[in-house]
Amino acid sequence: MFRRFGLLLILGVLACPLLGQDTLINRLRIRSDSLLRTWQQAVAIANLADSLERERATIGRDTIAVGALRIITNASPLPVRQAAALAWPAIDSLYGSAAADLAERPYFIRAVDPDSNARRAVLHVGLEVPWDLDLRSTTTLLLTTVPIAPPDRALATWLTGVLRPSIHPREDVGGVYLEFVTAPSQAARGCFMGDIASCIDALGLGDTNHQLERWYPSAPERRAVVTGSFADFFDHGGSAPALRECVAGRDASCTALLRSLPADVLPKPLSDAARVSLVRDALRLGGQDAYRRLLRDPEAAIADRLAEAAGVSVDSLVAGWRNAALAARPAPVELPWWAIGVALGWVTVFAGCGLSSSRWRL
Amino acid sequence: MGNRVRRVRTLELAMAPLRVWIAVAVGGCALIALAYLPPRGAAPRGPRFATYSPEPTAARRRAQAVAKEWRETDASLRLLEDRQHVKWDSSRVGPAIIFRGPTLPPTAVRTVEAVADSMWRALGLGETKVRAALVIALERAPGSAPGPIPDQNGVAFLTPDSTDRTTCMAFLPANHFWTAVLLGHPPRHFEPDWLARWFQSGLGPCAYYAAYGTPSRSVRSWLAARNWDVALYLGTHGIAGERFLSVNLLGDPRYSWYWDGIYSLSPSTVACLAGRLDGCRSAVLYGADDDARIAVPEIVRLEQGWWRKQHLLPGERFLGDVARDVGRDRFQSFWTSSLPVDTALAAALRQPVGEWTKQWERRFIQPIRLGAAAPLGATLLALLLAAVAVSAVALAASRRQVR
Repeated sequence: MFRRFGLLLILGVLACPLLGQDTLINRLRIRSDSLLRTWQQAVAIANLADSLERERATIGRDTIAVGALRIITNASPLPVRQAAALAWPAIDSLYGSAAADLAERPYFIRAVDPDSNARRAVLHVGLEVPWDLDLRSTTTLLLTTVPIAPPDRALATWLTGVLRPSIHPREDVGGVYLEFVTAPSQAARGCFMGDIASCIDALGLGDTNHQLERWYPSAPERRAVVTGSFADFFDHGGSAPALRECVAGRDASCTALLRSLPADVLPKPLSDAARVSLVRDALRLGGQDAYRRLLRDPEAAIADRLAEAAGVSVDSLVAGWRNAALAARPAPVELPWWAIGVALGWVTVFAGCGLSSSRWRL
Repeated sequence: MGNRVRRVRTLELAMAPLRVWIAVAVGGCALIALAYLPPRGAAPRGPRFATYSPEPTAARRRAQAVAKEWRETDASLRLLEDRQHVKWDSSRVGPAIIFRGPTLPPTAVRTVEAVADSMWRALGLGETKVRAALVIALERAPGSAPGPIPDQNGVAFLTPDSTDRTTCMAFLPANHFWTAVLLGHPPRHFEPDWLARWFQSGLGPCAYYAAYGTPSRSVRSWLAARNWDVALYLGTHGIAGERFLSVNLLGDPRYSWYWDGIYSLSPSTVACLAGRLDGCRSAVLYGADDDARIAVPEIVRLEQGWWRKQHLLPGERFLGDVARDVGRDRFQSFWTSSLPVDTALAAALRQPVGEWTKQWERRFIQPIRLGAAAPLGATLLALLLAAVAVSAVALAASRRQVR
């Protein structure tokens, strides 16, 4: 009898922690379920509150309509209508028929006193802008915050962001020319020299296998990438000796260091701006429905999507883009003939002053 | 009378022409103004923006707070549930792997287990008294399960306790990248050792439990008080091999954000970065004096931006480096010592804690300079101006000297 009681006691003592854990798990499970229900209610309330805030943001505001643009704003000296009139053609020419969707996605702009001491209500919807912005800045604001639906992940990753209308189209394409001639990459130089396959490589549109070798095939290029972009990053811990070897000219170390980086970290021979300018070219060639065609098949390769949007082969598209970049070569600084005379004149004046001055006396 | 007075007058010194000095002073002021005052009336170069982004409504903030609380509770619940059901495979030496979410093909599971085993051996671990289990939560498709979207950055650890003294659990969420890798679709550039490094970083305190057993009460209380920030990575490697250190996130001292980062740290952490012994000692022993209550179960959570909450940079590898430096036996004696942490650590290091830490810190960062310091250019300019002024005065004085 005593032995049986002792056995039960021992079993009870041994089971106590497990029972305790069960109790804790049950308690956590109940709490998790309760929090989940609370969260669902809180989200419903938050959605309602956000919706009310959007409604509230429209009360007592004007709606300015220019093309498909809808701008809900308060009365202020901010030149919204004029800015919208300037911005709309650029937006329409980029997105084409997709720009019509903007009628359902208005801008909310609250123009506020530019005095930073002025009291302001908390902003929950849209943008808050000082009302003393000039026309140019307001137009730029509208162009850089177009409320277009974001693209799919593949396109956004390739573009590194959202496609927006260009503010300085000429300078943007000129920037591509500068990249052609300054990027430490054989792919970029090959593109500059007219090799379309190199252009496709440099833009990340072709085969992405062995990207390092395709973008930076020579040892000096790889060393330039390591020392130019990652010297500080690699100059720690175990990678520091490899960095020193790389700087000293050992290509295997440079290659190993660059291989250790994720592919999306490897500097692109041609920047995101170059990619954006290519997409803009594709949309311009493709006409009104080009943007919709670009977004139609998110699973397709980017090159195919661009060709589909532009209505031409990717080779033709890239060739046209390259030609446009070459044509946008920045004008070299030219010295007018009279400037030489002016410079010489000043030199003579200063030299004369220096030679003819008397000793300084008090 | 007139002659008498004239004799009394002292001989008048020859005065330098005042107008020249006035002209020089005004000209100097004009030059300084030209150099330092901003131009007036010039059009700004670029567009001027001063927009303010919207803030979430109070209701949205509350929903986010509840979601955060749910995530923490859910992670704790999963760890406790999984600890009850973990299956140990006697044919393997590495940590048990439990997957949550989409089902992995058997080949992928075997690959993952093989990588985990080799990582375990690389840490110098084999059959251990405390076993580790990695719970890997794969990314779910949006809306596939009720509840908030899981936090892809928050890792959690369930340390051994009285309920289960031999199991340490680590909860490791796999983001889009790692989910693709685990499902057998790694990107083309994927290097084989990345997965091992990820597992190593995911083990956290469990690696210490496996290597050195359960710490003494004083050590455990110290680590609990500082959320284990000095014992996150065992071995000589950082999070992603030897490259990544939390101190690297500060960036380059040439930029202002570096100093923003520095001064967001606690004073003792900053003092240690500056190479001050007292600062290093305080940074290491933060929490050692507190008799922190260790919760049962003890769940250690590391949130996004955990490096911002560190009391020592790069603290995540501090104890790993101590262990490597002093050797297994001395570290084991520290780990299980019932002495106060500062005494036990100093005994293991065989030198004062601050001294060792100061030298250790120098391996990663040059001591920063604290306090006001004029830039070199400004100092040289000031010295030059001073030299010019002294020379001008000396010249003027010599010319005015009456011989």
